[in-house]
Amino acid sequence: MSDPYEALRRLLSDAGYAFVEPPVVHPASVFVELAGEDLRRRLYLTSAEDGTELALRPDYTIPVCLQHIEGGPARRRANYAYLGPVFRLRPGESGEATQAGIESLGRTDRVAADADVLKLAFAVTTLFGVKRPRVIIGDSALFAALLDQLDLSPPWQRRLARAFGDTARLKGFISKANGKAKAVASRSELDGASVAQVKAAVADHFAATGLGGVGGRTAAEIAERFVEKAALAQGIPARAAATLSAFLSINGTPVEALAMLRALAKRDKLDLGKALDRFEKRAEAFAGHGIDLDRLAFAADFGRRLDYYTGFVFEFRQSKAASEPIIGGGRYDSMTAHIGTSREAVPAVGFAVWLDRFGVQR
Amino acid sequence: MSGPLILAVPSKGRLQADAQALFARAGLEIAPTGGKRSYRGQIEGIAGVEVAYLSAPEIAREIGAGAVHAGITGRDQVEETVPDFAARTELLLPLGFGRCDVVVAVPEPWVDVETMTDLDDVAADFRPRHARRLTVATKYINVTRRFFAGHGIADYRIVESLGATEGAPSSGAADIIVDITTTGATLRANGLKVLSDGVILVSEAHLVASRTMAWDAGQKRALAAIVAKVKAVAR
Repeated sequence: MSDPYEALRRLLSDAGYAFVEPPVVHPASVFVELAGEDLRRRLYLTSAEDGTELALRPDYTIPVCLQHIEGGPARRRANYAYLGPVFRLRPGESGEATQAGIESLGRTDRVAADADVLKLAFAVTTLFGVKRPRVIIGDSALFAALLDQLDLSPPWQRRLARAFGDTARLKGFISKANGKAKAVASRSELDGASVAQVKAAVADHFAATGLGGVGGRTAAEIAERFVEKAALAQGIPARAAATLSAFLSINGTPVEALAMLRALAKRDKLDLGKALDRFEKRAEAFAGHGIDLDRLAFAADFGRRLDYYTGFVFEFRQSKAASEPIIGGGRYDSMTAHIGTSREAVPAVGFAVWLDRFGVQR
Repeated sequence: MSGPLILAVPSKGRLQADAQALFARAGLEIAPTGGKRSYRGQIEGIAGVEVAYLSAPEIAREIGAGAVHAGITGRDQVEETVPDFAARTELLLPLGFGRCDVVVAVPEPWVDVETMTDLDDVAADFRPRHARRLTVATKYINVTRRFFAGHGIADYRIVESLGATEGAPSSGAADIIVDITTTGATLRANGLKVLSDGVILVSEAHLVASRTMAWDAGQKRALAAIVAKVKAVAR
């Protein structure tokens, strides 16, 4: 093979993806807002003459979506491909890496789009001679559906949803289920007070300290959460904790996982509804696209820790022993709602290839 | 190649006075070479030592970069200023002065926030409610990022503060702060409280050595002599 990058370009173009080259430099706020302070510490920052903070792109997904939105109505269907440098501060490594990838926007036949994208990711590994990659798949929509069915107070639901993908943290929360919680003795004289009473006390407090200016947390919001905290201190009910533990330990091929999820739903009387149906349909679509389901390792606790993923996610690794992904991707249906001016959520799925980790040199 | 041991000492303020006094008690008089305003000095009684007067953050940076062999600076400065500080520096000896805690402090009226887990809930809820991220004023940017990441908090934005950080919440420049405190009096006077698990690090001045600098036998001997003398009188 003469030029591996050229071969990859041909593969992605032939699959119907049009190559784009969005700008390298963007306002830093775009990346910070979408991916959080955690990514910010990896950003190469500089500033414009007027002091605006600028950053070198740490990935292509956000810049490609920005370009898509600027180019017309967000809802239109478009398939993009890219290949070029991305920049992330990494201790002891070069901060510049070459990434290739695709973004498929606007397809409402989500299950088929997921299958197309996964199949193309397999084709990329084949192109670069990786014969048996380890492919991990996950689905945060299943976890969201589960949380919906459990007897949990809203603040606990939010806490658990946020921790998805960080299994150690989730297990920490679960271990503090009823009875096992170290009594969080709140020493406040406000314990047991109503929202209105707490609100009045907080307002007094704001007045006395001269804090609570415009745009910050309001007395009402603090009072609401103070009263809600009683529910948090209770911990997770023991039954819900048992269901969560069982769910998080589910892993296997999609067929095995589906059977286990069904068994759990039956045992604990859960209705995982549409999320489970979609999981099954997606697995069928994979098989229909000629993907060997035995090659996929589903893990119920697998989530990629980037704010923008919304459901199906996947990672390819060189081998079972490898810890770093060579390809990472998934569905991010809410990204377009957070950027640009239209604020419209558009179906989106894609993946990024870490070419340097394949050992591919041109 | 054998040169002198380069020891960086604080050039101004309380830290400079305390360091000077401690070394004097140990029989190590630090004196500027060539007049009071010089930025170079020597230690009377120990040959082969060159003193460089620098600010505390500069001392930490130079030790990390391997531009000086050792120096006197706060642990807070080392952890903030030196990337990968555990591999690049070694805290040889606590010196018993310059004590301060780096803490997370929130407005006292936030009666619902007592722990970092509370803060995580509030941070995650902040953007949907206020259409912006929770802001943290601090000059300890790296220390803050590591600590918040360790508590799983990602929904916040740092506002770099160059002084009087404790005033940021009342002026509206930021919602909460990460700053140093000794007694907590300044925080209280500004209507702020420290979270129960919000003490990020307990700091004091240390004699710190560089692991990235090339050391020869003479330099090692000179440092060992200084450590022995200071150890005898520190604390």
